[in-house]
Amino acid sequence: MIRILHTADWQIGRQYGRFAPEDAAALAEARLGTVERIAALAGEQQVRAVLVAGDVFDAQTVSDRTIRRLFNAMEGFAGPWILIPGNHDAALAESVWSRAARLGAIAPHVRVILQPQVLELPELGLAVLAAPLTQRQTHSDLTGWFDSAETSCGLRRIGLAHGSVQGLLADDIDSPNPIAADRAARARLDYLALGDWHGLKCVNERCWYSGTPEQDRFKDNGAGQVLLVDLPENGAPQVEAHAVGQFQWQRWSEALAVASDLDRLIERLEQVPASAVLELQLAGQLDLASQARLQQAISIAQGRCRSLQCDLAELRLTPTDADLAALQADGYLGDAIAELREHQQLDEGEAARDALAILAGLLRERQSGKGDHGSQGLPGAQEAQEAQEKQAEAPATEPTPMREDQA
Amino acid sequence: MRLQRLRIEQFRQFHGPIEIDGLEPGINLFTGPNESGKSTLVRAIRAAFFERHRSSSAEELQPWGDSSASPAVELDFDWQGQRWQLRKRFLKQKRCDLLVDGQAFNGDDAEERLAELLGYQFPSRGASKAEHWGIPGLLWIEQGTGQDLHAAVGHAGKHLQSALGTSLGEVASSSGDALIAQVERERAALLTATGRPTGALARVSQQCEEQQMRLSELDTSIDTYRQQVDRLGGLRLQQQEDATRPWEAYRQQGRQAEAQLTEVARWQHEQQRAEQELQSGLASQQLCHDQLQAFERQQHELAERAKDRQDQAARLAELQARQSAIQTRLEQARLHYQQSRESLQQARHDAQRAGIQAELTQLEQTLKDNEARLQQARAQQTDLLQRRGQWQALHIDEASLRQLQKLHQDLSDLRVAEQAVATRLQFDLQAGQSLQLGHETIRGQGERRLLQPIELRIAGIGLMRIQPGGEDVASLVRRQQAVQDRINTLQTHLQVQNLSEAEARAEQCRRLQQAIEQDELQLRHLAPNGIDALEGQLTLARQRRQALSTQLAALPPATVNQTDSDTGIHTSLTAAQTLLDNATDQLRAAEQAEARYQKDLGLAEQASRIAQAEWQRLQNDIIAPERQQRTQQLQTQLLELRATESALRKDMNSLQQQIEAARPDILRQDIQRLGRTAEALEHAARERERELTRLQSSLEALGAQGLEEKRAELAQELQFSHRRRDELARRAAALDLLLLTLKDKRQALTRRLQAPLQHHLHHYLQLLFPQASLDIDENLMPAQLVRTGAGGHEERGEFQALSFGAREQMGLISRLAYADLLQAAGRPTLIILDDALVHSDPERLAPMKRILFDAAQRHQILLFTCHPANWRDLGAPPRDMQAIKTGA
Repeated sequence: MIRILHTADWQIGRQYGRFAPEDAAALAEARLGTVERIAALAGEQQVRAVLVAGDVFDAQTVSDRTIRRLFNAMEGFAGPWILIPGNHDAALAESVWSRAARLGAIAPHVRVILQPQVLELPELGLAVLAAPLTQRQTHSDLTGWFDSAETSCGLRRIGLAHGSVQGLLADDIDSPNPIAADRAARARLDYLALGDWHGLKCVNERCWYSGTPEQDRFKDNGAGQVLLVDLPENGAPQVEAHAVGQFQWQRWSEALAVASDLDRLIERLEQVPASAVLELQLAGQLDLASQARLQQAISIAQGRCRSLQCDLAELRLTPTDADLAALQADGYLGDAIAELREHQQLDEGEAARDALAILAGLLRERQSGKGDHGSQGLPGAQEAQEAQEKQAEAPATEPTPMREDQA
Repeated sequence: MRLQRLRIEQFRQFHGPIEIDGLEPGINLFTGPNESGKSTLVRAIRAAFFERHRSSSAEELQPWGDSSASPAVELDFDWQGQRWQLRKRFLKQKRCDLLVDGQAFNGDDAEERLAELLGYQFPSRGASKAEHWGIPGLLWIEQGTGQDLHAAVGHAGKHLQSALGTSLGEVASSSGDALIAQVERERAALLTATGRPTGALARVSQQCEEQQMRLSELDTSIDTYRQQVDRLGGLRLQQQEDATRPWEAYRQQGRQAEAQLTEVARWQHEQQRAEQELQSGLASQQLCHDQLQAFERQQHELAERAKDRQDQAARLAELQARQSAIQTRLEQARLHYQQSRESLQQARHDAQRAGIQAELTQLEQTLKDNEARLQQARAQQTDLLQRRGQWQALHIDEASLRQLQKLHQDLSDLRVAEQAVATRLQFDLQAGQSLQLGHETIRGQGERRLLQPIELRIAGIGLMRIQPGGEDVASLVRRQQAVQDRINTLQTHLQVQNLSEAEARAEQCRRLQQAIEQDELQLRHLAPNGIDALEGQLTLARQRRQALSTQLAALPPATVNQTDSDTGIHTSLTAAQTLLDNATDQLRAAEQAEARYQKDLGLAEQASRIAQAEWQRLQNDIIAPERQQRTQQLQTQLLELRATESALRKDMNSLQQQIEAARPDILRQDIQRLGRTAEALEHAARERERELTRLQSSLEALGAQGLEEKRAELAQELQFSHRRRDELARRAAALDLLLLTLKDKRQALTRRLQAPLQHHLHHYLQLLFPQASLDIDENLMPAQLVRTGAGGHEERGEFQALSFGAREQMGLISRLAYADLLQAAGRPTLIILDDALVHSDPERLAPMKRILFDAAQRHQILLFTCHPANWRDLGAPPRDMQAIKTGA
């Protein structure tokens, strides 16, 4: 029994523009942390080798520091690492690999295979048939030569490639770097370790995409894992997925129709783990009181989890009479609220909804600021004028940040 | 509120009390001239309400110069069915009493009640000012302030607002205006008044642009980097090819071509050599050929020489044959010439002789003539000499003669003069009688002139002496005597007796002179050169005759008859000459012919000799055995040379073909082409090598910058900026919308609140400007007048921009409207107009009167004027101030 670890698509150097800078930095940092965990796992599991099926780096020109940090992160496992370049870090005439070599960053136990070749490792009982990308894109199957490649007897034939398995995805037919779906069988491989597809995917029992070990998309496709592959003397390999990712990317799409919907959502938000990277898409209607509650819950959740982004474009505010009363939105304010509420239906609905939210916020603030007025009788014109003067004397407040809009 | 009665005392103009009672509920018109006390009444009403009874500043209310007076005002009015009676006195006995339906209020209490009722305030201290007057300040229009509405409305604002609020119910927002201000501030943090981004929004937009720019720059760099990487890859591939040194193959090919070209050059050299050989062979051929031809030409020449020799011999023979004939002809010509010469000699002698003889004859004749003439001349000369002698003797000087003649003339004249003066004696004697006069006897008749005393003797009678008178006669006689003396002298000199003799001698002399001249002429004719010359001539002629005779004698005897005429002699001489000339010509011709012949003969003999010699020499040459041998040799050589030529030509031809086939020009091009190709290839390889190194280092440098990572970071920042910008923009849009909505709603509400005021305003305005409308602003001030102009189009004008008169009218209308509003709100209204609308023209005044009358249906109006005529048709009986004063 030979155990290897199959991973791919580390995408070191990746940046996350859609997040706030501190979140983005944490997410980028997490990718290196994951490599450390992979190294640790490999050590723990005493695998013969770690196979990385391309796209180790997200780009060719990452900084020297990033290169060094990656190889440092790999120090945790002293056994052989076998890396091939993918489309992001293809082995071009000048590449991140040649730079890494110049920097002297590549440790002896890390084998970067830059040319198609059979790497026989008798001491490990492995023959690795590597199909590294030497161009950014190819339209021929780089694993074609596996079929006719000879390897020493007694060595497990392991394919290592990066590309799209043909026919796997209907709309992916034109995708570059094609790989025949039956390559493992045709090339008599014991196992074909693939990269490029960021989710965990089993093409067939001898051919797998390990997916990226650290999630980078809101897709529930098994990303965030590595594969521990046991290769028996005979028969199909035993493949076991092992979660190593730091952050869990989640997208919640909720429709708020009745009050209990919001209750449930808030309950869920209260339980969001710290490792969550959450995207919240909300639709439906809310009265102003509920909106305030939702705001509160989101704010709390944002404080706890790594990132929480909200898309409230489909959410409509429907102030009720009770809202208006509670906010003391009397006189023409009531008219304004009514009109904005109506306008949510129109083209400028977003602005109307925002305006409504701002208005509600301001009213709420004022209310809490001078609660003594409470729900007493409305003041006369004279008092209104006095209030206005008083307000004018107060220092101008900064615009209230709209945290729910950080989508 | 209805004012019923007004009484004042010790108040300004009025020392005594003045009371006005029975005021109408509508318009009350007070008329009077200036200073008649109208304003004092108004002032009294104002003082009653506005001035605190304790006020020390009420001194101005005292009549002038009466500091002891205590001004007092009493006012009675009805309000809401209650009778209010106000008694107020200032300064000396200051007090204030108010009785409301029997309930009494005093002092400050009373004043506060009044202020509350009418809606005004008291100053905390000092005199009451406009800002305290509230509603009355608005409705009580002082002189000349009708157009100034703004301040009055401001001071009354609260009351008006309250009146509106009360009338419409409590619909205004409790916090709306404050909210609007807040929204405005927040909007202003993001947007300018005109809606352009500012503050954080502007900053973040700017940031976005900057980041976008930097991103583009980075993209460019990354693109460059990628291209360089691709280039590097391409170069590496090519470098592998370069490693095989492909240019070497071309160099090899080039060398082959060069070798081939060298071979061709060798061929060309060979060809050149063959060509030289050919040329020399051809030259040899030409030489042989020429020599053979020369031999042939000699054969021909020999024939020619033979013929020439013959010809020359024939010609010599012919010439020799002609020799005797030519000699004979020469002899004959010589003979003929001799003869001709001799005959000419003879002829010349003859002619000479004839000449001599002729001369002799002539000479003889001349001699004879000359001798005769000499004789004649000598005779003549003798005569001449004789005559000259005669002449010499006879000669009288011509001048002397003329003197003599003159003297005779003078004498004659003197005699005439004597006769004239002479005494005349005429006589007539009888026949036979005579008288003796002096020595003369006279007879018959006659006359005598008597110059001298004379005696007349008369025979018989005696004697008579006659004495001529005068002394002239004596003078005359004396002068006569002188002349006669001179004549005598001259005659003596001339050797003549008298004049006639002198004249005869002169005549004779003349004749002699003529004869001498004739003789001399004749002599000159005979011997022009003198007789001696003639004699010399004669001597010469005789000598010549002698010579000629000698000559003639020396001549041979004449051949021709001596009798032949000269003509004949001359003729024969000419003929002889001609003959000789001919003979000479013939002789010369014959001699020339002979000389020519001799020369020709010499030449012919020479030519013949030479021809013979030439022929002989040629003949000798030709027939020589060496010549035969040489010819044979030449012919053989020629054949050999021709064979060689043909061989050479063939060689050259094949060489030429070889050369042409090798295409040396193309070969040279090949060498060039291949050389250049190799050079270019090698150069390109070297360049690639260099570029590769360069690219490598450039890429290393670029790669170390971590461009894509930077880009990713920047893109992330940009995305964040974009998001922030979008958020802010969204917030700005929301705030904008919110503000707009709030303002909109507020304005709608304001409009709704102001509707009653608008209604009242409209009511009055229609009476002044039908179809017009007057907007009011938030402060309930008239803002904009909209009316239809003369041209039917709309005119808009701000209240403040209206003319003074129009502003006054609008001001009054507005106040009336406020009054209506206040009345509707249950507030008391009293309108006082002190000299209002003085700036309105009659046209405007008329509708204004209708307006006032209309307002008076609801409000009490006190109108004071000094122009009663203007208000005659107001529909109210005027109260004359004078009447009021007297009535009091």
